[in-house]
Amino acid sequence: MHRPHESQKKTYVLINFDHLSFSYPKTNKLVLEDFSMEIKKGDHLVLKGASGAGKTTLLRLILGFDKPTEGNIYYQGRELTNSVIHTIRRECAWLPQDLNLGEGPVKEVFGFPFSFKVNSGIKPETDEIFKIFDRLNLLPEIWESNFRDLSTGQRQRVGIALCYLLNKPILLMDEPTSALDVDSRQKAAELLLAKNKTIISTSHDSWWIDRCNKIVEI
Amino acid sequence: MEVIDLNWLQLCISFLILGIPGFILWKYKTGLNRKLLTATLRMVIQLLFVGFYLEYLFEYDNPLINISWILVMVVVADFATLDRSDLKRTKSLLIPIFLATIFGIVLIDLFFLELVINLPKFLAAQYAIPITGMVLGNCLRSNVIGIHSFYYSLKEKRERYRFYLALGASRNEAVFPFFKEALKRSANPTLATMATIGLVSLPGMMTGQILSGSSPLIAIKYQIMIMLAIFSGTVLSVYLGIRISNYFVLDSTDNLDESIFKQEKES
Repeated sequence: MHRPHESQKKTYVLINFDHLSFSYPKTNKLVLEDFSMEIKKGDHLVLKGASGAGKTTLLRLILGFDKPTEGNIYYQGRELTNSVIHTIRRECAWLPQDLNLGEGPVKEVFGFPFSFKVNSGIKPETDEIFKIFDRLNLLPEIWESNFRDLSTGQRQRVGIALCYLLNKPILLMDEPTSALDVDSRQKAAELLLAKNKTIISTSHDSWWIDRCNKIVEI
Repeated sequence: MEVIDLNWLQLCISFLILGIPGFILWKYKTGLNRKLLTATLRMVIQLLFVGFYLEYLFEYDNPLINISWILVMVVVADFATLDRSDLKRTKSLLIPIFLATIFGIVLIDLFFLELVINLPKFLAAQYAIPITGMVLGNCLRSNVIGIHSFYYSLKEKRERYRFYLALGASRNEAVFPFFKEALKRSANPTLATMATIGLVSLPGMMTGQILSGSSPLIAIKYQIMIMLAIFSGTVLSVYLGIRISNYFVLDSTDNLDESIFKQEKES
């Protein structure tokens, strides 16, 4: 029987948490302890658990904003070194729970991430953005509004539209449906789950959890 | 017209005027009277020291001594910038701000003193010391605003900064909005002064020159030059201060070293 080469097995596994522990330096409070898990390409994964269990911390660890106290994280078989962290950041889109893009018209703050060198070739036309806005029940009028004046739900949908249009292979999302009504939630899920992407999310929302194909409780 | 010299008694009499602000501050329990006393004492001692030192400096007028004095001023400004910015005196900030200020001062001094005024003697004390002092004083003020604004907003809005990094922004791209805001905040006071100069206030240097017998036209020409020097010097030193310190304060994955902060401000 043909056995896959070791490196082929590793690339199939996108992210591997290997006996990971984490505590915040200031408090020394242990947030994650001896946590191991594999995320494969194409997984629609949701992390669920009580508040403070370490769900968001896990996403921050993948993005290199925090460093594990013990254990390792592997991305496509490579240990999470500084250069691998930069690779992950280039290949993912991140939606925090409380998206704050600061002051300024939506058209400016929305366009800013498309000005980054790594995203320069994918800047969408305004029509295309408005189509996505429409699919998320966002009116085109908000384009001229100050981002600061949007409701939490509108901000979340703007963030979802941004993540979708950035067209990255990996989506990291912290409570992506927490501020959405039933209809918007449905539409957001259709948009995000339709594409062949790897999704790593956290959620307390049973509706979203039901739509993910891999559920991990921490 | 001859300059009227102030004798020491006349100078002492001028302190009596402090009774008015002192009374107002005391009546409203501002707690600033002690600070007023300390500030006045410091001002008198520092200026007396500088006065005597400048007499010595002007008498010898040696470029090496002048450069040494400028270096002392830059070092003092370096420490003062961090103290007033509520940032710790870490090497990661002291060295970059020192380099930024010294580069700004050298460029401005060479441009204005040697190229524009074309001093007959290199770094002549009579011109080099007061002009450098004025530019440096303003660099200090702008650096305090710029450096404080940049690093504290990066800390308070860290989620926004991380959001940009997580979408693939390079370090320079991710700090761009914070850099822009810091530059605006630090440049605005000097721009406002330039826009109202002569209408709302007569600047100190010009007043000094007129009092010492110069023609108002000469004083105005120097004042225009010094305002250009101040504006260019401050923007350059804030830009370089932030830019150079970024290499030391942001790590190789662009995370902010939060040990530089004195205050525990959270958004």
